[in-house]
Amino acid sequence: MKYENVLTICPYCGAGCGLYLQVLDGELVGVLPCESHVVSQGKLCVKGWNAHEFVYDKERLTKPLIKHNGTFEEVSWDKALDIIVRKFKEYVEKYSPDSIGVLSSAKCTNEENYLMMKFARAVLGTNNVDHCARLCHSSSVVGLGASFGSGAMTNSIGELENCDCILVTGSNTTEQHPLVARYIMRAKEKGAKLIVVDPRAIPLSRFADFHLRQRPGTDVAWINGFMNVIINESLEDKAFIQERTEGYEEMAETVGKYTPEYVESITGIPKENLIDAARTYARSDRAALVYSMGITQHTTGVDCVRSCANLAMLTGNVGKPSTGVNPLRGQVNVQGACDVGALPNVYSGYQSVADEKIRAKFEEAWKTKLPPKPGLTVVDMINAAYDGKMKMMYIMGENPMLSDPDIGHVKEGLNNLESLVVQDIFLTETAQLADIVLPAASYAEKSGTFTSTDRMVQMVRKAIEPVGESRPDWQIICSLAKRMGSNEFEYSSPADVMDEIASLTPIYGGMAYDRLGNGLQWPCPSKDHAGTPYLHKDKFSRGKGSFAALEFKEPAELPDEDYPLNLTTGRIMFHFHTGTMTRRTEILNREVPMGYVEINPVDAEKLGVADEEQVLVQSRRGEISIKTLITKRVPEGVIFIPFHFVECAANVLTNPAVDPVAKIPEFKTCAARIKRVERKKL
Amino acid sequence: MIEETRRLAEKWLESGKVDGIVGLRENDGYVAPYLFTETGELESLVVSSQIRRTFCTSKSQRFKKNVLYLLQQKYPKAKIGVVARGCEEKAIIELAKRNQLDLERITILAVACTREEAIDCRCPTPYPTRIDVGKRVEGVSSDVDVEALQKKSLQERFSFWKHELSKCIKCYGCRNVCPSCFCEDCKMELELWAKMGQLPPEIPMFHFIRWYHVADRCIECGACEKACPVDIPLLTILKLLRRDIKEMFDYEAGLDAKQEAPLLTTLDETPLKE
Repeated sequence: MKYENVLTICPYCGAGCGLYLQVLDGELVGVLPCESHVVSQGKLCVKGWNAHEFVYDKERLTKPLIKHNGTFEEVSWDKALDIIVRKFKEYVEKYSPDSIGVLSSAKCTNEENYLMMKFARAVLGTNNVDHCARLCHSSSVVGLGASFGSGAMTNSIGELENCDCILVTGSNTTEQHPLVARYIMRAKEKGAKLIVVDPRAIPLSRFADFHLRQRPGTDVAWINGFMNVIINESLEDKAFIQERTEGYEEMAETVGKYTPEYVESITGIPKENLIDAARTYARSDRAALVYSMGITQHTTGVDCVRSCANLAMLTGNVGKPSTGVNPLRGQVNVQGACDVGALPNVYSGYQSVADEKIRAKFEEAWKTKLPPKPGLTVVDMINAAYDGKMKMMYIMGENPMLSDPDIGHVKEGLNNLESLVVQDIFLTETAQLADIVLPAASYAEKSGTFTSTDRMVQMVRKAIEPVGESRPDWQIICSLAKRMGSNEFEYSSPADVMDEIASLTPIYGGMAYDRLGNGLQWPCPSKDHAGTPYLHKDKFSRGKGSFAALEFKEPAELPDEDYPLNLTTGRIMFHFHTGTMTRRTEILNREVPMGYVEINPVDAEKLGVADEEQVLVQSRRGEISIKTLITKRVPEGVIFIPFHFVECAANVLTNPAVDPVAKIPEFKTCAARIKRVERKKL
Repeated sequence: MIEETRRLAEKWLESGKVDGIVGLRENDGYVAPYLFTETGELESLVVSSQIRRTFCTSKSQRFKKNVLYLLQQKYPKAKIGVVARGCEEKAIIELAKRNQLDLERITILAVACTREEAIDCRCPTPYPTRIDVGKRVEGVSSDVDVEALQKKSLQERFSFWKHELSKCIKCYGCRNVCPSCFCEDCKMELELWAKMGQLPPEIPMFHFIRWYHVADRCIECGACEKACPVDIPLLTILKLLRRDIKEMFDYEAGLDAKQEAPLLTTLDETPLKE
């Protein structure tokens, strides 16, 4: 007779809510919210409340699988690991280490991501390691890095409550980060002004003082418009600009031509509304900017992010509590996976692989030579596989077959590999293409740390034993490394791994398990440092904040005669990403069992389609069959499809065109059309 | 107070009065419900005013049943103790009336709340029927929020609730934490009453279902309000409902284990049987 509650972190979004896993006689029986947690404060969203359910799903992978003549057969761990090691060695020798690509996972712990990138670099000898941050916030990492010197959310989630003004753009916060939206709603109820800039009507826009609906992909233009108004009316923070920034003159000159009239002609935002909203933001003492994929997922993603940074610096809204530029990270540990170096160009703590001194430090610590050339990104790896240059991929806890743009191309790429290994908790769409599948333990079955969107490193605690023969990802990586002949993967527990991360990573220097009970926000350089609730206090990480002079550029693909609609994609409250976990949760499936395409009533009438009619949505990449949802949530000319559903996968349609620097694909806008399905007469 | 609680729990475990006792444990820097079965563990037993007070009678989301119920089902012979405050005892009483717990096999280590705790919870009766630890203090007799709302016109009250409910993000948290609700087939999940997949859920139907279902068993613990991510003042409406039930049926949930719940009786007033 045993009953306990284990405090851990919700496995879904980057808010990083604390929750208890209820364990009765070693069995997970539910979730309880945690009142003492700094963000969740005893509350959870519907996904968090049901985060126990997928753990025991009957489709959990419980044994290693190997594909024989197109069907999977169970094998022993020993045999599976031996085969993988043999293949690794074969491709390294026959081709080169760079013929192998590794995808790490924003669903795995910091320790696991660190080990995975160490494995790729120190054992395989390639920098070809990346993860889905490429698809969500690589433009934030690059853009905010260039503007401020650090690519992360500048302030803390709870600080939002005390803002005087909150500008939310490209973030449907209520549905994607429900517990972050809580603080926006609280600020609003205390009298803060709320500005929402989003083509769609979202739950927050109902409560907003301003809802500006821009044409998708025109964010640089409206932000330049805001700045034009602010400079024209002398509302900028002159002292801040003078003391803390550089590049102002050039930026001011560029935005000179973005008059409200000109911006209206590009974005469709009425000039009066733009002027009023810009004044409101600029006149507020503490104004925070909150953004997410609507800003980042464009071929101009880096420009959009830098525009946000421009606006905050222009009004002196950086380096103070309840202000800042706040990208909300989508996955529970996408911040951490970036922090610990699961990226092709940096080691942990964003330390460049191309920098000789830094490379020497890691070579000394890991006792091996390391490759100097940055590796391939997610998108480039798929392209290399398609071109036959990449021979083998090792994918941990990612599902590019649903999450990446132009799935048809992804499938051809993955099928073209000589060898594909997938390590996951379910047989995902990607795992189905694999030659070998390894069963991993879920978040409830292992210990480690996650880093939430506001840079808070928090403890993930093991509540139950791994299901079946599944194993924690960190143990699998260590087993592989040992079999590859490395002696540098001897860890007794994830705590040892964190100690190694701390020793090599200045921003994590003060992290240690005995300090993480209430979480610690990086940068935390030493064991006596209390962590950093908000960044750039007296000085930007890069010294001076850098303004960027940016011209508006059109998205890669615009609606035209053939494809007259503007397709945008996103998530909804009741599901998460590729649905691997939420579509195995009964209540979430009952709420929203299947995907749909949102279409404005005017467009629906033009096309003659009815509500809930099964139609074809087509783009230059492909077509899907999907039912309609006629709603004014989307403006005329724009359609929206949630990307969770494999049966009508939005990413069959999306454009793989990428930002030239961050390589993030343009998920948020492409050209599409809707076709009615011809029905045979009875 | 905590020393007294630990001493009593130790005595009960040692004497075999209980086989285990559910209480709050402080472990690894956090406090959470735990079943103490060894006296050696009791130094980590705490009585925390930081943690929601109906925690020890919380439900399992997987089975939609109270954890005490699950323990009683799984261990039919076990004598289970629980460190309970006034609200937790009230919850246990209401569950027992509905065959969700066997009072005979539950021993309550009854803790009285302090005046500060009572004010924080807006609780009129911050004590169990019998007190093992602590002293009975005065509860909060008149609720400021309820009074303020009652002074408003019908129109004002209507728009107040419409605004509050329009914030709802359909987390089901109010239902999930409610110690008094236990239906495995929850009517809130029925398309019949409130369309699925909508945000906010249909106003006011989605919330009405729950409020009416708990009308005669709500023990005004306020767990629902504390679990609400958008701060809907749920305790206020439930206090009003409780007031109506008292006026109409002279019934107050949780106070007397022997008093029949009014909505449980049949039309000819004979008690409801399973």
